[in-house]
Amino acid sequence: MEAKPEVGKKEKDWEPRILAFLCRWCSYAGADLTGSSRISYPPNVRILRVPCSGRVNPLFILKALRSGMDGVLVSGCHPGDCHYTAGNYNARRKFSVLSRLLEYVGIDPRRVQFSWVSASEGDKFAKVVSQVVAEVKALGPNELFRLPDLDKKLEGQEGPHL
Amino acid sequence: MADRIRDELMAMATRLFDEGKIDHFLGYQKGTVKFKTAPLIARSREDLEGLWVEDYFAHNLALYLKEIKGKVGILVKGCDSRSLVSLIREGQLKREDLYVVGLPCPGQIDPGKVAEVATCEPEELEEITRSGPEVWVRFKAQEKRLPKALALLDKCLDCQYPQPLIFDSLLPGEYVAPVEKTTPAEDELRKKTGTEKWSFWSEQFQRCIRCYACRNVCPACFCPRCIVEENMPQWVSPLPTGGDNFVFHLMRMMHVAGTCTSCGECERVCPMGIPLRKLNNKMADDLRELYDFVAGVDLDKPLPFRTYRQEDADDFIK
Repeated sequence: MEAKPEVGKKEKDWEPRILAFLCRWCSYAGADLTGSSRISYPPNVRILRVPCSGRVNPLFILKALRSGMDGVLVSGCHPGDCHYTAGNYNARRKFSVLSRLLEYVGIDPRRVQFSWVSASEGDKFAKVVSQVVAEVKALGPNELFRLPDLDKKLEGQEGPHL
Repeated sequence: MADRIRDELMAMATRLFDEGKIDHFLGYQKGTVKFKTAPLIARSREDLEGLWVEDYFAHNLALYLKEIKGKVGILVKGCDSRSLVSLIREGQLKREDLYVVGLPCPGQIDPGKVAEVATCEPEELEEITRSGPEVWVRFKAQEKRLPKALALLDKCLDCQYPQPLIFDSLLPGEYVAPVEKTTPAEDELRKKTGTEKWSFWSEQFQRCIRCYACRNVCPACFCPRCIVEENMPQWVSPLPTGGDNFVFHLMRMMHVAGTCTSCGECERVCPMGIPLRKLNNKMADDLRELYDFVAGVDLDKPLPFRTYRQEDADDFIK
């Protein structure tokens, strides 16, 4: 998850990097179907497989943003379809509160997005990703957690702080 | 009035020790600085001597219950009783281990605020007295009457629970009529744009020195090991840089959501004056709006993140 910002890259070449947490039972299989159905979608997502959307700790999302990811997508099974019965319902409560909190501190809600994609919705996965990428592209690079004067001191140093 | 309450409290605590109902009593004692009180942890009736009752009780004593074993008698105001309820609800405390002495609360005076109005240091104030809803302050041979808003702690101004919610005995005393709060907390910041919000909070969090006073004083922060101290993996750098401060504070808010009663202790102890209670209030308002949940008022209602409903808000999900 440590993603170093590509220094020196020209702004016009900038492409957003999105971290996608996909649930092992639905969305990951959905993404697989997108590929096997030969539907193309933007290559900006880095997919991370998780056992369930309920596994996604709000800390993962914050850490991703802190590490320089331009956007985060969390995707799980549709309500009622969770392999573990209620994982996505519990996740939904957490994310409701988290997204409102992020909005309150001034992080654009479009940077952290959520979706329900089932294993049969290959086309929906492509649509969701294109949409998220387009929205994050419009927002520009994630400079939020890189507070200039403080982070400057640490630049060039190895370690988890960047 | 304070003397009468003190006598009654003293008699009550002594009796509890004598009857063997408690092993410890948690109250307040005079602080080493003028107009400050400090927590008092009495292990026997002899320790009760320093027990003190004042109009400027700031601490939330529920914090100390984490580290005290056995039966504990505790003095609580309305707001502190909410912390007890939420901790019992979280399974951190047992109701039967507590003997709760309730103190009807007229709102606690903030000597810092009073000193600001009097334009002097808190130590230079001579006397703060109270008659009914008014607060009088005497300093440098002057006397001044202060309205509530300029004399009480911020959290007391919109207090909804001046009367303790759970108690075994109640001390005499007046309490102010609770504020009816159905609307969200007053907060100009919520109306601002994303960029304005971000610049406000970056400015606040850049000042954070990561002393963790907010976490240490928080009754709701009861994890045996905090994520900021984990190093395999290291979630948050211990260096107080802006970005990591954000992650720390937002994560802390997510962890205490549902347990936090907006008691304002984090904000009170912050040496850098970061308005953390704004975040607490925001969280509390969201939980009320989304799940009709108010932390620390109901011993039976399920915690918001331990339950769900099929018809929960879904509008933010694609």
